Amino acid sequence: MELKIENLSKTYSNGVNALKDITLTIPQGMFGLLGPNGAGKSSLMRTMATLQQADSGSITMGDIDILKDTDKVREMLGYLPQEFGIYPKVTSYKMLDHIASLKGVSNKGERKELVEALLNKTNLWHVRNKSLGTYSGGMKQRFGIAQALIGSPKLIIVDEPTAGLDPAERVRFHNLLSEIGENTIIILSTHIVEDVANLCKNMAIICLGEVVAQGNPTELIQRVQGKIWKKMIDKKELDNYKSNFQVISTHLKAGSTVIHVYNETMPDETFEPSPANLEDVYFTEISSRLNEVTV
Amino acid sequence: MFIEIFLFELNYRLRRPATWAYFGILFIYALFLSIGGLSGGSEKVFLNSPASLASTLNVISIFGIMLASAIMGVPVYRDIEHGTQNYLFSYPISEKGYILGRFAGSMATLFLVSLGLILGFMIGYAIGPYAGYEPAERYASFNLWHYLQPSLIFYWSNFFFTGCIFFALVALTKRIMLAYAGGAILFIIYLVTLTLTQDIENKELVSLLDPFGFGALNNTIQYWTPEEQNTLTIPLKDTVLWNRILWLSIGVLIFLYTVFRFDFQRFLYKKLGSKKKSMVDEKEVSSAAVFTKIPKVSQVFTGTHNLKLLFSLSWMEFRNITKDLFFKAILIAAVAFLFFDGWFGNPTYGTPMLPMTYYMLEIKDFTYVILIFILIVFMTGEVLHRERGVKYEQIYGALPLPNWVIYGSKFLALVLICFILVNMILVSGVLNQVLQGYFNFQFDMYFTDLYLIEFPKYITYVMLAFFVHALIAKKFLGHVITIAIWAGLFAINSLADIDYNMALYGYAPGYTISDMNGFGHFLAAQNWFRLYWLGFGILLTVVGLLFWKRGTDSGMKARLKEARQRLGGKVKSAMVLGALIWIGAGAYVYNNVSVINSYRTVKERRVLSANYEKELSKYNYLNQPKFTDIKVDVDLVPEERYATMSGTFEMVNKGDTPIDSLHINWGNNELLQTELMKLAVNDIELKEGKVFEIFGYKIYKLPQKMMPGDTVTMKLALKRGYKGFPNEGSGSDIVYNGTFLNDSFFPSFGYNLQGEITSDKYRKEYDLPEKEYVAPPQDDKWGLSNLLFNDDADYVTFEGTVSTAPDQIAIMPGYLQKEWEDNGRKYYHYKMEGEMDYFFNVSSARYDIYKEDWKDKDGNNVAIEIFHHPSHSYNVKRFSKAVRHSFDYFSENYGPYQYRQMRIIEFPRYQSFAQSFPNTVPYAESFGWTADFSDPEDLDYAYMVTSHEVAHQWWGHQITPSATRGANQISESMAEYSSLMVMKKEYGVDAMQDFLKRELDSYLRGRAGENKFEKTLLDNDTQAYVWYRKGGLILYGLQDYIGEKTLNQGFKKFIDSAAFRPKAPFATSNEWYGYIKEVTPDSLQYYLEDSFEKITLYANKVSEATFKKLDNNTFEVQLTVESGKNYYDGNGKELSAPEESNLLDIAVFQNDTIIDGKTKKVPLILEKKWIKPGKSTFTFVTNKEPIKAGIDPYNKMIDRIPDDNLKSLDELE
Repeated sequence: MELKIENLSKTYSNGVNALKDITLTIPQGMFGLLGPNGAGKSSLMRTMATLQQADSGSITMGDIDILKDTDKVREMLGYLPQEFGIYPKVTSYKMLDHIASLKGVSNKGERKELVEALLNKTNLWHVRNKSLGTYSGGMKQRFGIAQALIGSPKLIIVDEPTAGLDPAERVRFHNLLSEIGENTIIILSTHIVEDVANLCKNMAIICLGEVVAQGNPTELIQRVQGKIWKKMIDKKELDNYKSNFQVISTHLKAGSTVIHVYNETMPDETFEPSPANLEDVYFTEISSRLNEVTV
Repeated sequence: MFIEIFLFELNYRLRRPATWAYFGILFIYALFLSIGGLSGGSEKVFLNSPASLASTLNVISIFGIMLASAIMGVPVYRDIEHGTQNYLFSYPISEKGYILGRFAGSMATLFLVSLGLILGFMIGYAIGPYAGYEPAERYASFNLWHYLQPSLIFYWSNFFFTGCIFFALVALTKRIMLAYAGGAILFIIYLVTLTLTQDIENKELVSLLDPFGFGALNNTIQYWTPEEQNTLTIPLKDTVLWNRILWLSIGVLIFLYTVFRFDFQRFLYKKLGSKKKSMVDEKEVSSAAVFTKIPKVSQVFTGTHNLKLLFSLSWMEFRNITKDLFFKAILIAAVAFLFFDGWFGNPTYGTPMLPMTYYMLEIKDFTYVILIFILIVFMTGEVLHRERGVKYEQIYGALPLPNWVIYGSKFLALVLICFILVNMILVSGVLNQVLQGYFNFQFDMYFTDLYLIEFPKYITYVMLAFFVHALIAKKFLGHVITIAIWAGLFAINSLADIDYNMALYGYAPGYTISDMNGFGHFLAAQNWFRLYWLGFGILLTVVGLLFWKRGTDSGMKARLKEARQRLGGKVKSAMVLGALIWIGAGAYVYNNVSVINSYRTVKERRVLSANYEKELSKYNYLNQPKFTDIKVDVDLVPEERYATMSGTFEMVNKGDTPIDSLHINWGNNELLQTELMKLAVNDIELKEGKVFEIFGYKIYKLPQKMMPGDTVTMKLALKRGYKGFPNEGSGSDIVYNGTFLNDSFFPSFGYNLQGEITSDKYRKEYDLPEKEYVAPPQDDKWGLSNLLFNDDADYVTFEGTVSTAPDQIAIMPGYLQKEWEDNGRKYYHYKMEGEMDYFFNVSSARYDIYKEDWKDKDGNNVAIEIFHHPSHSYNVKRFSKAVRHSFDYFSENYGPYQYRQMRIIEFPRYQSFAQSFPNTVPYAESFGWTADFSDPEDLDYAYMVTSHEVAHQWWGHQITPSATRGANQISESMAEYSSLMVMKKEYGVDAMQDFLKRELDSYLRGRAGENKFEKTLLDNDTQAYVWYRKGGLILYGLQDYIGEKTLNQGFKKFIDSAAFRPKAPFATSNEWYGYIKEVTPDSLQYYLEDSFEKITLYANKVSEATFKKLDNNTFEVQLTVESGKNYYDGNGKELSAPEESNLLDIAVFQNDTIIDGKTKKVPLILEKKWIKPGKSTFTFVTNKEPIKAGIDPYNKMIDRIPDDNLKSLDELE
């Protein structure tokens, strides 16, 4: 089963045009949605998660119209919002049990087994009887994924799940996600390129509400391979380079500034070729649309 | 720093739609009030008089605490809510700058919002005279000070100090709920003080504690006459001043505390007082995590499962609500009110009532219902925003729960809350009854009222709240709008006279529960109206479901689109169901209130009255025959609320012109519907001549002219009764149990002055001349030859048979001759001996009879019979004792009693009065029958009122006043005086003072609210506060001056001359006054003139009172008093202050003693002295240690501040 987004557009009542004619095909497996903050990732995710309506366009999954058959979608949906809260005085065990029953897991025995498994899986077993208000950011996030996994969802949407997590937490989180079955669509939105590079078979980059690239990461890297050039420059010269070249990113390396430039051929001999990675792909796409890029 | 934050805050607020919404609500409300001319009080007072502006601004500021908490509660909270506090406080801003800036910015916003009202008033009162809703002369010209002055001392100062408190609460605790709770607490304090000020003894203290100064303001202006209300601003002194200082300083102190206490560190840390620490996570991933497989589970998404979820979620939501602190706090407060309202009883003249079940139920409409409504609105807001509040809404919104399960569970939870709320009334009621040792619980009454009437009513509140909160996604705005809708409904209903219940959401006709008649005929109307509103409420709730925000997009377009999607088959059928119930019940209700019964708007009724006068007043004073002998058969069918009557009436032309036609008033069929079956004179059926159908006024040509002195016989048969239920009105003449008909049940002759519009304001509106008096002058020929109580007869002989339901006793005028049963009905035959005035009643109910006898000096027996509801036997002996004592006193002082029986008859509490007919006194159920007289300090009003009614046998039925101005004083002032004398004999002088103070209070408030002008005791024709209150006070003062015996001798002479006067001229106030003057010495004639011919008020007070101990164990008392006396015109304008001396009591007292539980003053000195207006000083020597001293200490004179007449003495060294 594939998820198809066709010509999806959305303008909020405050005039923000969050989604512009988005068309995407999302196959099973892990799908990365990459984009800078404010690109429209969350709008897209929330629309897929039945939390808001689009102005035009459609989203279908098999024969289910996600925008209309919201009840059906929710039956097979696991959703972890970018920002969420939970009742601070309830324990994770109780809360998961409660959500499981709301997700239709009505058999008590099954529910118990499921909740215990999820708590183990997300490494929350030892704090299962502590109230959620006392959880650290990482624990809360793991709880978030645990609730999203209830009921073997066919469609899992996780919105910026690793924001604010320390590196170890991120690794654990990645492991968790990667263990989910293959016949599930998992959509992961993030602005961290590494997340996608590590996890996703397919991806799309969106910027300013538009899809600017999609495909599998290797293919996308292939497209820019040989077109990325780097140079160590003096910081004062940056503006000069920016006006002459498509500078896609700048890094600091041992106190000096290294710029990456996208160009079909070597701009001049002061540049040296740089092997392309996903980060270069990403910055190539967004630097042409957003004015300033600094990493 | 302060400036930036201040400007940022102000700028931010000015861009919020809510700020302008609040401004707009106030503005529109002010326009509505001012242009619509909505105000209570006298017609003579300008709508925008300084006094009414002050009252209005004050009252609105009380409800303005909602705005204050909305505006002042959020500024600091906003930083927590949006999580900005973390970086905001890392900027180099000072704590004081932050807090002061936010405070000042918000306060400026609040001030700005508050201007909406003032601006609205200014514009409204300027447009008002031209808008035509209210006559132009009711508007005074613009005076800025009249707005500013009360705004400063009440309106803004209330906003300011409540704003300080709300700001501080949130800044210190970070909990926005406390701002609501703080508002609720202030409101509750206000309500408590309001309740306590009903007791006139501690008004001053209590009004000091009222947070909003309402009580203090009210005490200041309560006795202001229309003239004073129009010219004076509220003086900022005494209680008003101290009240303002108290509450403003509370506000400022709390705010200062906040400024110094507030620090970012505390504010940033987790919850105040929370000891929780963030948990340390296990760094190692346990092997369990790696190897755990997530098991496959089965999921069900069936309808049954959803239903199960609906109930479990409702239960969860219900428990969430009940755990809420705010909910608990308000509920406790609400129940406390319920309980204490029940505990203090329903005092009449300060005396409590037994905790009757109907009363335990009725108190829910005092304060409880207001708090409950607020609770429902706030809890609905909480419930609908619950997930959003903890940011759980996205997870929750994406769960596979149909909308109706989520929304429905929240709704059901509120319904369950309502069920708890109605049961609180039951619990509080029963608890109250048990604690007061009253065990006659009427659970059927509780259940019917609470479950069939109150519960559905609360559900309709919930439905409205759901509708608004679902449509308005902003919680606070939702609260404000829901409450504004409710207040708006209340305003158009009670102020704008729009009373069609089918048009006012949640409204139903008023109803009264009675022990005698239960819910009676009211229940059907209640049930149908509830059903009607529930149907409409279902529609509202379902529309709410369509627009309720699930998810993240609150744009209107998106929600409209969403709503269209949600409008599926099931939703449509729910709407159809709601609509069917609504329309179906609506059709039934409409048929009852507007087809079977005729509904008229308040305005239509006024137009009808105006037309009645315009078309028919030409028949006023038309000569009509008078009844002389009446024989009637009345068949009461209380089960079906109708009666048939057939009678033979002998009539005489007592006038000096021939009569060629009968003018009969049949009534306008608005509630009581009449069907005429026979009307014949001398056995010739009368033909309708001119007919004024809409007034029920018909003219019939007589077969033969009646020449003066001619007698004819009229035969009449008719059926009168009630059908269905009306929009409003008790329809209490014939009820299932407790029928009480008076002679107005029989048709009357000629034009009736009572049908005219009395208000000059409306008279002018309909081009009728202003009317100063209803009754003609004392020397008017027509007036002198007719009786005041009924001009259709002078004296009549009477005989009749009445039948009723088999288990009821029916009572008519006369002595019972015979009773029997026939055809399953009970029959009673009564016959009057001799003549009586044509003023009688027919009663029927399931009665028990208490009997006692009284014998006069010559041993003649009078049977005292008390017909009472079987369970109301508590005070029957008290009634009977009052009858005996009254007979003793009156027969000795005025002359013999004219009948052989005295019947007191209880009737249901649809009206609350007692009324004296010849030898019969119907007495309302709520008036003394169930009073609790266990505290001897309390006024025994059953005794007093009974005595008053018995006195009418002399003053009213022996001397029958003429239909002239002032004549009613002969009846009412004399009955009041007579009962005061009987009471004084039984209870002593000290009990009298308590009562006289109440009389004084009623009199002063009565004249303050006068719509025309205050009349004197000699010419007053309609003012009850003059004939009861002033009359009682003046005659009591007079007997104190000239002696009870002397005065009674004058009255006896009057009785001897005027009792049973067979023909005109009947008694007038001048005649009465003549006998009073005769027995009053010359030196005191000034008192008669002041009191009977003028309006006179004293201003007496003690300015200094000291004593010192002398050597010989005696005490020298030095007393400086200020005396003042002023004459006023009828509008309350001061005329002059005479310089002559007045005879007044001067007294010195020792400590009060308590005898048999009653407090008594013990005078050491009590002398009457001639005192000149101005300051006077007196010196006395007493043998015992004096405690207090005063001028007119028993409050015999009319004095606007009676409490400063007595002062405790200071000892001089």
